[in-house]
Amino acid sequence: MPNGSQRPLELILARNLLSNLATPALLTNDAGDIVFYNTAAGEFLGRPFEASGTVPVDEWVVDYGPLDDAGAPIPIDRHPLAQTLRSSHAGHENYTIRTLDGVHHQIAVSGVPVIGSDGYEGAMVFFWTPRGAEA
Amino acid sequence: MWGSRGSIPAPGPETMRYGGNTSCVVVDLDDGSTLVLDAGTGIRSAGLAMPPPDRPLHILLTHLHLDHIQGLMFFAPLFRAESEVVVWGPSSPEASLRDRIGRYISAPLAPIEVRELPCHPSFREAEPTEWTLGGARIRAAPVTHRGPTLGYRIEADGTSLCYIPDHEPGLGARLADVDEEWISGYDLARGAGLLIHDAQYTDGEYPRHLGWGHSPLGDALTFGARTEVERLLLFHHDPLHSDDFLDSLAGQAAMRWEALGGAPHRVELATERREIALPSATPADVPAA
Repeated sequence: MPNGSQRPLELILARNLLSNLATPALLTNDAGDIVFYNTAAGEFLGRPFEASGTVPVDEWVVDYGPLDDAGAPIPIDRHPLAQTLRSSHAGHENYTIRTLDGVHHQIAVSGVPVIGSDGYEGAMVFFWTPRGAEA
Repeated sequence: MWGSRGSIPAPGPETMRYGGNTSCVVVDLDDGSTLVLDAGTGIRSAGLAMPPPDRPLHILLTHLHLDHIQGLMFFAPLFRAESEVVVWGPSSPEASLRDRIGRYISAPLAPIEVRELPCHPSFREAEPTEWTLGGARIRAAPVTHRGPTLGYRIEADGTSLCYIPDHEPGLGARLADVDEEWISGYDLARGAGLLIHDAQYTDGEYPRHLGWGHSPLGDALTFGARTEVERLLLFHHDPLHSDDFLDSLAGQAAMRWEALGGAPHRVELATERREIALPSATPADVPAA
């Protein structure tokens, strides 16, 4: 039987939802890799998903952050929101990230775990400029 | 095909050719095993036509909407004490398969309870994995519909059948463009010898039914083309669609299937009481007895 290429249905449905939202949002798999981000997120980051495809989480951190106070990428194992999501809880954090043009941005990030019948499948992560921090 | 109508039985002179019974397909394997796909009202006639089984009879339910279980209470083998019937269906976090079916086969909707069925059927939640029934390899996988819903793939005797009667893979996605890994049901259907798939609506009707869990004709054809099935049988006809209307739809389907690269005679609309032989080498139809 054919096997292996299809994503879990819960992630497929999550992607379909995110792809129709104007809120910048991305989707991770259970390993934390970024398997999709929507048009609004691509415009914010400076690169559409069609140009990047799936991005391993370590590459994502190098390219975009989040960054610490010194401007260095925070490794994923020290990323509080990632840890919260992997424990199957929703979470919210404020971060500094760097878009492809090198500009640093303060963003608010909310994540919701996607939990299917097989357990944690990934997470939907929404982000925007925090109230009061708009340019 | 013992029932190919969707949503609700639609008997009457305007639906006599395609049939008015809801979803039920009986699969007879070369080794003598029988699988029943869904238990819509078509299963009543199917059960009456079955000889007393000499081996377990397996009913694979895609989901528990009424048009897929309504006939279960009128399935003759359930009332024969000597029958061994196993009912498979999707799991749900809220209750067991037996308890969920028991909500229908119980008062006040029914005069009997599940425990009173003479054959004492067993109920098994179909995990998203593969297993063997008789001479067939079965795979179940969740697909996009409303509520827990499975599609099935059956491989036996050198051929394969995929059954996804209620499916809206194009909800929120453009099936023609999205990568295959993001298409609901893709792994189930890929390369199947025969795909039986939801095509409840016309493309014009679909916007008024977005999110109801069913496909328009265009998405059904695109799904069949993307999964490269050998043959496509369009299923779950809307109860408002008369025979004449479905004839017209069949013509459109053939033209559009050809435009997608398929042979026009390899797509058709499911018709009640139609029998399709799926030999491993040269597929051929035989008329129903």
